[in-house]
Amino acid sequence: MSELKSGTFSIEELENVQITIGSIVGAIEKAAEEEGDVGPTAKPGISDLRDWDYKLLEKYNPVYTPMCDQCCYCTFGTCDLTGNKEGACGINMEGHNAREFMLRVITGAAAHSGHGRHLLHHLIDLYGKDYPLKVGPSNIIAPNVQLVTGKKPETLGDLDDALDYVEEQLVQLLATVHMGQEGEAIDFESKALHGGMLDHVGMEVSDIAQISCLDMPKAKENTSLAEIGMGTIDPEKPVLLVIGHNVAGVTNIIDYMEEHNLSDKIELCGLCCTALDMTRYRTEGGDVPKAKVVGTLAKELKMIRSGVPDVIVVDEQCVRADVLREARKLMMPVITTNDKIMYGLPNRSNDDVEDIINDLKEGKQDGALILDFEKLGEVAPRLAQEMSKIRKEKGVTALPTDEEFKELTSRCVHCLACELDCPTNLPISDSMTSAAEGNLSPFEELHDKCIGCGRCEQACPKDIPILNVIEKAAQKVIREEKGKVRVGRGQISDPEIREEGVNLVMGTTPGIVALVGCSNHPEGTKDLYRIGDEMLKRNYIVIVSGCTAMDIGMYKNEDGETLYERYPARFLKGNLINVGSCVSNSHITGAAIKVAAIFAQRNVAGNYEEIADYILNRVGAVGVAWGAYSQKAASIGTGCNRLGIPVIVGPHGSKYRRALIGKPYDEEKWKVYDARDGSEISTPAAPEYLLTSAETVEELMPMLAKSCIRPSDNNMGRMIKLTHYIELSEKYLGIMPDDWYKFVRTETDLPLARREELLKILEKEHGWEIDWNKKKILSGPTTKSDVSAQPTNIKRLCKEAC
Amino acid sequence: MADVTKNLKVYTTYGPKNAKPAQPAIVAKMITKAKRPLLVVGAEILKDEKLEKAIAIAQKGIPVAATGHTMKGLKDAEGVDAKYINIHFLGSYLCDANWQGLDGKGPYDLILFLGHKKYYINQVLSGLKNFSNLKTIAIERHFIQNASMSFGNIKPETHLEALDELIAEL
Repeated sequence: MSELKSGTFSIEELENVQITIGSIVGAIEKAAEEEGDVGPTAKPGISDLRDWDYKLLEKYNPVYTPMCDQCCYCTFGTCDLTGNKEGACGINMEGHNAREFMLRVITGAAAHSGHGRHLLHHLIDLYGKDYPLKVGPSNIIAPNVQLVTGKKPETLGDLDDALDYVEEQLVQLLATVHMGQEGEAIDFESKALHGGMLDHVGMEVSDIAQISCLDMPKAKENTSLAEIGMGTIDPEKPVLLVIGHNVAGVTNIIDYMEEHNLSDKIELCGLCCTALDMTRYRTEGGDVPKAKVVGTLAKELKMIRSGVPDVIVVDEQCVRADVLREARKLMMPVITTNDKIMYGLPNRSNDDVEDIINDLKEGKQDGALILDFEKLGEVAPRLAQEMSKIRKEKGVTALPTDEEFKELTSRCVHCLACELDCPTNLPISDSMTSAAEGNLSPFEELHDKCIGCGRCEQACPKDIPILNVIEKAAQKVIREEKGKVRVGRGQISDPEIREEGVNLVMGTTPGIVALVGCSNHPEGTKDLYRIGDEMLKRNYIVIVSGCTAMDIGMYKNEDGETLYERYPARFLKGNLINVGSCVSNSHITGAAIKVAAIFAQRNVAGNYEEIADYILNRVGAVGVAWGAYSQKAASIGTGCNRLGIPVIVGPHGSKYRRALIGKPYDEEKWKVYDARDGSEISTPAAPEYLLTSAETVEELMPMLAKSCIRPSDNNMGRMIKLTHYIELSEKYLGIMPDDWYKFVRTETDLPLARREELLKILEKEHGWEIDWNKKKILSGPTTKSDVSAQPTNIKRLCKEAC
Repeated sequence: MADVTKNLKVYTTYGPKNAKPAQPAIVAKMITKAKRPLLVVGAEILKDEKLEKAIAIAQKGIPVAATGHTMKGLKDAEGVDAKYINIHFLGSYLCDANWQGLDGKGPYDLILFLGHKKYYINQVLSGLKNFSNLKTIAIERHFIQNASMSFGNIKPETHLEALDELIAEL
């Protein structure tokens, strides 16, 4: 008897009958089994990776810094938990904060997975479940999906199965937030790590679905450069602004504009990740990006307040809640296109296109909900053309005139309420004084650091529209905001990993620095340029995504070049890679998984613990979310953590309220097994944290170098990494790091150019015994030099001696 | 005399327990009484004259935890016993009774904070407030509600004046 398969079938004897079989129960599992080994944790439930989590948490202790000392989750309370007191239900401050952190993580994971679900439904509607996944020249198509679910997806329909699993697990996790469920912090921590892992599956599903169907670059090197910045937008043309993260509906707008020769007549631009994904749409063959990028969430209110957009289209995630209220003041119709954001607008999805356009241009409604993307594709560009004429005729202006500006800056009574309320306490008051005297430079400088939240205006007792004042003062700077962003390339391909994996594991490529996350940078976008430039010059692989991929392209050197123009984009040392939008972060963890799979020949499918253990001990990678503020950034970082990748956030990231920090002074904790014989070996505290914050870019630099040191580094690799650690500490902190000697196992680990000097310090300050004739270390190091050792935290991976 | 306790406005509350306002003379008295004080200095001091004030306090024999890249400004200062440490790490270690301090001489009993971003130091102090019994004093120019004691919201010039008074009393 032949076996049924999924797909669409016709039966010869029956005319006009077609049978569609969506999925066969157990078919994917069977195929996975046939393909080869499936590890012990395919589709793990909440408790299945708990042992691994406990191992991590024993070394990297949760550090809670609560934002609210009360719990108001149920009507048992409100309870004061200050000083780790217990509330009415018995939960203490630690437990409650761990629960809150987990909630943050699963909120982020739900946002990505919900995005993935919407996109997948849409693409399956268009292309069918059997549409093959195409991500580039790779056998490991979806490393996160395969690692977690144990199955290798091949079609859009296979991704459905992976998302089913993620959704089910997220519901189970959310259930534990309820009063009277989990009581111990450590198990909320394990659940948070579980949520982070799920997030990377959800992100990967989203991105490989759109890469496959929307002709986005597929692991392509040196993709095109797109224009970025408020200064790149031509206000003379009708301007159609898109905000959000889900490109599904926008593709119809792009198609309509091309079909009707409108691409040159309308300025199509975007904010946040939808903008990045618009630049990826149909650029697989190296075509010019079909839209411009305005920037990140930090530019959202500023762009609207500029009065430049004629129509705004929003989809989902990182869209300000006041877009409709702000746009209404400036006669900009708003079209919502996704049921996650509807702003109370009437649903016009089933209405005639002409009726919708007429109602909106006549101002009968502030906007419309349009869930039919074909209609959206026609309405948005046509309406932008109409509104551009109307708004110009009516002389709609947003920013204050010169006279108004003078009056507004003079109105300030310098009460400092705005500065107290500003999330970064920017010096608004002094800038007002300077502006009133005709000096705009303090405001120009402040503009780049201002994240455009508008909280200052809420605080001002004199009702000064402070954001408008900043924007008016910074017009010269804004006009010059013209950068470049490399179009997102998608995942790192298997051949690239084959070429570079060995260098990463041995340490001769000093590490991967993944710059990700939002735009809440403490000192503005220049921070990212400085970090990227320094690490690229030192031959680290720098990978960027999302808002960071945008902001790093906003700053130029004296020759007017962005980092994208200065550094090539292969997965090689000294290269700068943009993987894409927020959901493309899964390709960063994907690359680490591939190193273990391809370079070390480890089985991936359902083998999470072993792969994570490998990455923790051997792959020198560190994530940096310098301006992180979203829950999604928390879930991305936590997914990295479970997989053994440490993450540093900027100072604002301390408001995530939970870090994972080790204690290097507790030496008993820094031991691993040698998988060759099961013996215990001491290691340096490397990495010494899984999640922490840094205060300044200068502090961050040596932390990055140190964070890429791994127990398995060979001597050449350790020497290179130690050289960078010492040099960066001297350059940015002005000192030799206190702990550099702890990473020295033998004299060949020492930076070559300074070997003699450092040997003298080891002898004099640390009492190490040196053979000066041979310039060899005779005794002193706490960690043995044995590059053949196979460090592991998992006893079952050791040979029989365990 | 600089009155640093008039403005105690907070933007959002953290909970029922807030810092007590403290004048410079009171802070000086508490430092003098402490057995193992520690001055935690952040990178904001590198931006103005607060650097001199931090050095002057340290020169009174108080060891310094230099966070961020503050060591740049302290490394050559005479009579200053300063060591670099990441402030998030420091916040974690201070909650551990087994930590013997930056110099290995034992736990601290009073922690002073100067030169940090308001939102950042409030987070670090939230951890210390809830998970340690340490006495913490913020001598910043903003009211740091999660410290045990804090200066209020003051103008930069008042802040410098207050720090001078504190130094004079040590």
